Amino acid sequence: MRTTSADLHTLTGAYAVNALSDTERAAFEAHLGGCGSCSQEVAELAATAARLGAAVESPPPPQLRARVLAAAAETRQVSPHVPKIADRRRLRWAGGLLAAACLAAVVVVTVQNVETSDERRLAQLSSEYSRFSDLLSTPDAKLISGTAPNGATGTAVVSASRDEALFLAKNLPQPADGKTYQLWLIGADGERSAGLVVPGSGPSVVTGLAGTERVALTVEPAGGSEKPTTVPVMSMSIV
Amino acid sequence: MPERERALQSLQSTPRDVGPTADDLLTLVARGDEAAFERLYDVVSGSVFGLIRRVVRDQAQSEEVFQEVMLEVWRTATRFDAERGSANAWILTLTHRRAVDRVRSAQAATHREDRAARLDPGRPFDEVSEQVDGKLEQRQVRRCLSFLTDLQRESVLLAYYQGYSYPEVASLLGIPLGTVKTRMRDGLIRLRDCMGVTG
Repeated sequence: MRTTSADLHTLTGAYAVNALSDTERAAFEAHLGGCGSCSQEVAELAATAARLGAAVESPPPPQLRARVLAAAAETRQVSPHVPKIADRRRLRWAGGLLAAACLAAVVVVTVQNVETSDERRLAQLSSEYSRFSDLLSTPDAKLISGTAPNGATGTAVVSASRDEALFLAKNLPQPADGKTYQLWLIGADGERSAGLVVPGSGPSVVTGLAGTERVALTVEPAGGSEKPTTVPVMSMSIV
Repeated sequence: MPERERALQSLQSTPRDVGPTADDLLTLVARGDEAAFERLYDVVSGSVFGLIRRVVRDQAQSEEVFQEVMLEVWRTATRFDAERGSANAWILTLTHRRAVDRVRSAQAATHREDRAARLDPGRPFDEVSEQVDGKLEQRQVRRCLSFLTDLQRESVLLAYYQGYSYPEVASLLGIPLGTVKTRMRDGLIRLRDCMGVTG
C-alpha cells in the first residue's frame, strides 16, 4: 500500500483546484476519510486556492441581492450532522474496512490514470464504487482477503444482511490471449458464475449469496465457461 | 447599505477587519439567521461572483451559478465546521466547484476539441497574471505567484481560473500527467507557505 498511498497523496493539489474527474474526486475523498495528514494538507491547499479566488473579486449585479435573499427565505436548510456514538467493536472493524476502501480507491484511481478518455467506463466504475462504500457501512460487513500464487491479492466485502458481496482483485496479471478471469460462488449445490473479471477494473458486485461458502477465481476461455474448467488461482472462504 | 459598511466590505479580506467576520456570520446563518445571511451576502458576494465570472466567463451563466451558490451557502451552512477551515475558504471552495461543474457540463455538451484548439498555450497565463493585479490582496497573491516555477504557476492557474482538469492542463502544457499533479501540489504548497495560510 505504500506506493499507492503516496500516489493518492500527490492528488491533494489537483483536488484542491478541482482538477479531478468526478470519479477520482470520489475515490480521493474516500481516501481522505482515513488519512489525517492528507485532510490537513487538503484543508490548507483549499484555503490557499480560495485566496486565488478572493483575488478576482467583482461585484454581482445589484438586483441579484434581493432575489437571493428572497429565495433563502423560502428555502429550508439541511439538518446538521450529529456525531455518531461508536462502540469499540465497530471501531476495530473500521480499521480493516478502511483498508478495503483505500484499496477500492486505488483501483479506481489507477484505472482513471490509464484510461482518462473512457468516460462511460468511468461512470460505471463510479457507481460501483459508491456501492462499495455503501456496503462497507453495513454493520455486519465482513472483510475477507486472499492471495494468488502470481502475487495478485483479492479482497471481498460480504454483507449477509444485504445478501451482497463485492470482490476486487489487485495486481492481477493480464490473462493470456483468448483467456479471461471468471469469478465463481461455490457452495454445497456446486458452482455458480459471478461474472468475468477484467484486471484493473472496479469491484465485481455479487448478489444472492445463500448457500455460498467460497468465492473463487479461475482462468477460462474468452467469454467464460458454464462451470470452472481450471484450478482456481484464488479461493476464499466467506463463511 | 450605509457607506461605512460598504467601505468595510471592501476591506474584508485584510486582517484588520472590523465587525463580524464571515466565520461569525456563517455560524449565525447555520442557526437560520436571515439577517446574518444578508450581511454575509454583502461580505462575500464580490469574491463569489468574481470567481464564478472568471471561470465561467459568460455573464448570464455566471449570474445563474452565483444565485445557486449563494443559496447553497444558506442551505448547507449547517454543515460548516469552523474547526476545519475558515468560512471564506469554505464558501470559495464551494463556489469554485460549482463554477467548474458548470464549465465541465457545458463542455461535455459542445465539442471538446473546439475549445482546446482555440487555446494558445501561452495566452491563458499572461491573461491571468494581468487579472491578478491591483488591490492589496491581489498584490500579495501576485507576489507569491512569482515565487513559483513557471510550470507550477501555469498548472495551478490553468486549473483554478480556467477550470481545466489536470489531464487537460497536461495536454496544454505538453507534460506528463504525473508531472502536472506534482506541479499543482508543489505550487500550492509554495503559495501556502508564502501566504502563511493555515488550514
